[in-house]
Amino acid sequence: MRSLKNHVSLIIPLFAILFAVEFYFVINAIIKDYESRLNRDYSIVVVANKELTLQEIKVHEPDIAQLQELNSTLVIERLKKNGIKVDFNELKNFLPKFYKVYLSSFPSSQKLASLRNKLVEIEGVKRVEAFTKVHEKIYRFLLFLKNISKLFLAIIFITSVMLVFKQIEIWNLEHSERMYIMALFGAPLWMRNAILIKLSVIDTIVSTLLVYLLYSYVVGSGYLTKLLGVESIGFTSSDLFKDALWLFALGLIISVFNVIIVSMRQPKVA
Amino acid sequence: MAKNVIVAKDLYLEYKKNTPIIKDSTFSIKSGSFVFITGPSGSGKSTLLKSFYGELKPQQGVLQIGGVSLNDIKPSKLAFLRKYLGIIFQDYKLIKEWTVKKNVMLPLLIAGYSKNVCETQTARLLKHVRLSGKENYYPMELSGGEQQRVAMARALAHNPVIILADEPTGNLDEYSSRVIWGLLEGANEQLGTTVVVVTHSIPSNLKVPYKHFYIEDGKVYEIS
Repeated sequence: MRSLKNHVSLIIPLFAILFAVEFYFVINAIIKDYESRLNRDYSIVVVANKELTLQEIKVHEPDIAQLQELNSTLVIERLKKNGIKVDFNELKNFLPKFYKVYLSSFPSSQKLASLRNKLVEIEGVKRVEAFTKVHEKIYRFLLFLKNISKLFLAIIFITSVMLVFKQIEIWNLEHSERMYIMALFGAPLWMRNAILIKLSVIDTIVSTLLVYLLYSYVVGSGYLTKLLGVESIGFTSSDLFKDALWLFALGLIISVFNVIIVSMRQPKVA
Repeated sequence: MAKNVIVAKDLYLEYKKNTPIIKDSTFSIKSGSFVFITGPSGSGKSTLLKSFYGELKPQQGVLQIGGVSLNDIKPSKLAFLRKYLGIIFQDYKLIKEWTVKKNVMLPLLIAGYSKNVCETQTARLLKHVRLSGKENYYPMELSGGEQQRVAMARALAHNPVIILADEPTGNLDEYSSRVIWGLLEGANEQLGTTVVVVTHSIPSNLKVPYKHFYIEDGKVYEIS
C-alpha cells in the first residue's frame, strides 16, 4: 500500500508534465492542420507584363512559397466562349502573364494588404488581386489557445518537476540504508542509485501510458474537435504514438536528472 | 617479511571539534595478521575501525590502508579501496529487502563477476556458514546468529585482503559465535587475510596467533 502511494506520488506530477506537453503538441498540430486548410481559402493573382521568378519576388516577400504561372490559353478559351471576335494568335502575344502566388502560412487580412502593396511595387507587375475568406476568429482563438497552453505548460512543468524532486528525495531517504550498505562494499554511485532509477523508469512508463490512453480516447471519440469547434484536428493515432515516445524520453530525462541531483546532494560518506 | 597493510602515524580522530576520540596514536598492522582491538566502552574502538574503512577521515596525522592514504581520499578511490575490504558489523547491516542469496552476492556484483560465478560462490559460502537451504529467506526471517553468518559470508564472498569486524559476536549465541570465530580463523590461516576485530573480550579458545591493541584515553597501545 505504501509502495503504491509512493508510486502514485511520482506518477501524478509526471503525468501532469506529460499531459501538458502533449496538450501543447495537439494544439500545435491542430493549428498547423487548420493553417493548411486555410491556405486553400485564399488566392493571390499577380498580373505582370514580364516573366517573374520565385527568387525575384521572394526578395520582396520571403513568405512566398510558390509561384505558379497560369496558362494564358485558359484566358483565350474564355474569350472565345464569350464570342469575342479577335485574332487570338495575335492576342496571345499581347496578353500579360498571370501568376498565382502561394504563401508558406495562412495570411491575416493585414498581411494580405501589405503583401499586395509589396507585390505591386515589383518592376513589371501591373496588378495584384487577393481574395480571402474570413477565418480570423477561429484562427485567432487557436493562436490564443497555443499561447495559453505554453503558459500552462511552463507552470505545470516547474511545479511538477519540484514534486518529482521531492518524491525522489523521499525515495532516497527510504532506501538510504541500502545505499549506505552498498557504499560500504564499494558500490559505485550508479549502482547505489539503481533502485531510484528503476522506480523512476517504471513510473515514467506508467505516466506515458496513461497520457497516451487518455489522448487516444479524447482524440478518437471526437471530444476534442467538438470542444475546440474545429472540423478535424489532423492528428492520427500514429502521431500520438510518436508523441508517446517523445513523452517517455522526456519523462525519463526529468526523473533521471532528478535522481542525479538528489544523489549529488547525499552526504559524502562513501 | 610481511608488509604493513594498515599504518597510522600520530592519528587524530574526532566527531566534534576539539573533542578527540583517538589522538597521537602511532601503530601498524602487518599483512596476514590477526588483530584484536579492545578497550572500555566509549573508548573509540568502533571509531578507529570506521576510520579504517573510510567512514571517518583523520583530522590530523596519517592513516594508510594498503598504501593508500585515507586523509584526502576521493569517493571513487575509496569505493575502489572498499572492494578489497570485508566488513562485519554488530548489527549485521544486511539489506532487508534482499534475500540471503542476494545479500551474500553484493560484493561479487560490485566486483562485476558473472552471474554464474556469483551463484557458485554464494552457494559455496552459504554451505560454509551452514545456511544452505535458506538462500531465499529474507534477513528478518532469520535469527540474529543466522543473520551474522550471512554477514560473514558476505564479508568473505570476494576474498577480501582485510576483514574488519566490529563486535562480530556481540549479540550471538554460543554456536553462532563458534562458527564466526572459526570462519575468521580459517580466512586468516588458509587465505592469509588480515583480520581486525573490535571486541570487548578476546575468545580464549582461539587457535591462531594474534596481536592485541588496547585503547585507553584516546591512545592506541600495542599490548602483545
